[in-house]
Amino acid sequence: MEVVGLHPVDIVIIGVYMAGTLLLGLYCTRFVGNAEDFFVAGKALPFWAIGFSIVVSDIGATDFVAVAGAAYRNGVAAANFDWMGSMPAMVIAAFLFVPYFWRSGVFTIPEFLGRRYNSAVQFINGLIWVVFLFMMLAVMQWITADKLMFTVLGWNKYVALWVVAAVTGIYTFSGGLTAVVFTDVVQLVVMYVGGFGLLALSLWEVGGWSALQSKVLAMGPEFQDHFKLLLPHNTTGPFPWTGIVFGLGLVLAVAYMSGNQVIVQRTLGARTEWDAKGGMLFGGFLKSMIPLMVALPGLCALVLVPTLGPEDADRAVPEMIRIMLPAGLRGLMFAALFAALMSSISGTLNSAATMFLTDIVGEMRKWRKKKPLSERMALHIGRAITAILIVSTAALAEPIGDKEQLYVYIQTLLSFFQGPVLAVLLLGIIWPRATGYGGLAGLVLGVFFSFVLNYTPDLFPSEDPFLFVAWWSFVFALIVVVVVSLLTKPESPEKLRGLVWSSVVSDLEAQKALDERVSS
Amino acid sequence: MTAIVSTIMAVFEFLQNMFHAALAPIFHPLNTVLGGLPNWVASVFGVGLFVMAMIWVGVFLKKDYVNYGRPHKSIWTDLRLWTCLSMMPHVIFYLYFR
Repeated sequence: MEVVGLHPVDIVIIGVYMAGTLLLGLYCTRFVGNAEDFFVAGKALPFWAIGFSIVVSDIGATDFVAVAGAAYRNGVAAANFDWMGSMPAMVIAAFLFVPYFWRSGVFTIPEFLGRRYNSAVQFINGLIWVVFLFMMLAVMQWITADKLMFTVLGWNKYVALWVVAAVTGIYTFSGGLTAVVFTDVVQLVVMYVGGFGLLALSLWEVGGWSALQSKVLAMGPEFQDHFKLLLPHNTTGPFPWTGIVFGLGLVLAVAYMSGNQVIVQRTLGARTEWDAKGGMLFGGFLKSMIPLMVALPGLCALVLVPTLGPEDADRAVPEMIRIMLPAGLRGLMFAALFAALMSSISGTLNSAATMFLTDIVGEMRKWRKKKPLSERMALHIGRAITAILIVSTAALAEPIGDKEQLYVYIQTLLSFFQGPVLAVLLLGIIWPRATGYGGLAGLVLGVFFSFVLNYTPDLFPSEDPFLFVAWWSFVFALIVVVVVSLLTKPESPEKLRGLVWSSVVSDLEAQKALDERVSS
Repeated sequence: MTAIVSTIMAVFEFLQNMFHAALAPIFHPLNTVLGGLPNWVASVFGVGLFVMAMIWVGVFLKKDYVNYGRPHKSIWTDLRLWTCLSMMPHVIFYLYFR
């Protein structure tokens, strides 16, 4: 693959962007005085900053490349993950889950599960997430350094890796969630300018939207579904409509938007509950534009670089940047890719540190009957964990990132948990009769059922049936939780007060008590 | 070592066959029914998910609960309106690319 050459103007643009982000992040240090400021931005975030931050934390530099590649291979159906896989789930998260997390004053999702069920559930859930986020940080850094900076730009991958780690690490270490969120706002603007710039130029080059459609459809019978979002149930590809609507829309997306600390932590830092909900909705609206700038250029590449072929589809965006963008715009586009990368790293880093301190260190101190950490001490330890995480993941980026199969395996493994965890979380919130034994049985048997469905051949038409596995394991876990809960002793009303939906919606006293607990 | 690996593989294969025999009679007829549905059914379900979410927020949830903590009582701070506005682009996309 030919390396994309950068003009000095492009390098200046990227340099100015990196320095500006660092300075903005460092400026936010003045707002950090204690652990609450560091982990949940002192509960002072407005809805617009939350919305911007949710979107930009979710989109990585590799998404630009991978989603465009998927659109090149499978058409607009690749956009389902940002449309069907976002907005309905964000509405459910905004009005069902977020108010309870926010009102209970927790820092993390496992902390909420610990209050609803028990300490072991909190520790195990926190540990699984910390290990996963650690791996994700390492892989994100390595893939970007190796596949983007080295392969596309021809830069020294080790230098690029450590520069990005240093910049993001320093501002996340200093300014905590406030720095992460406000740099995210700038990064989203840069991403939108770069992404829509590429889309506009691609469409211009192709001859407009109608020309794109007619040229792609004229390429042959295998391209006839390239402008359909929902493909038939019996397609052998990865996006059948039943899997997209039920597995993605109702299970995986809801589990992701409601149970992913990186997403939910922004809403926990909201200044009011209204801002938390409004931030989710605003984020969903902004996210609806993402496929336009990451998927449609992949379709344009079918016309502009038809020689690529499906196996090299992930090269679509870099190739188009190389052949189409002039000096200056090329720098802006790469600044957008850096923005996507840095925001994902900083968001993941801050969330991993929060969970490590709250759900692992905090729970271990409780078991050893030690006093809870003071606010000041929690801030120092939180910063130390942030520094250790960024240095260790950058150092281990190559060995972990090179074993891409290991990461894929862990990601697959995590997807087995999503359906059952959502069932346990959902019933824990909406059904007061759900018990600790019911939750545990639903989780264990639900995950077992996921394995059975995934490793039993020929049950589903799709070659990669992960969407069906998510849906059916969710349904199975729901049934198990209900049956086992009805057979075991109910939880006491005092334990459930303010933690289940009905008590908070109908009981104004419970709402007031929770408000006082949060503000005290 | 080879004996252990082959034993594990044999157990794995036995379990696969056992679960296939139990689950295939449930999933295969379901696949046949779903595979025969016309594409407009997919659009109805796809768009329906967005519409149902709008109806849930706009009709079934209490207004006070939806807007709890709103800064002032202007129509522009009503999150029921925000829900509909943020859903509309998606509905348009799913109707266009059908």
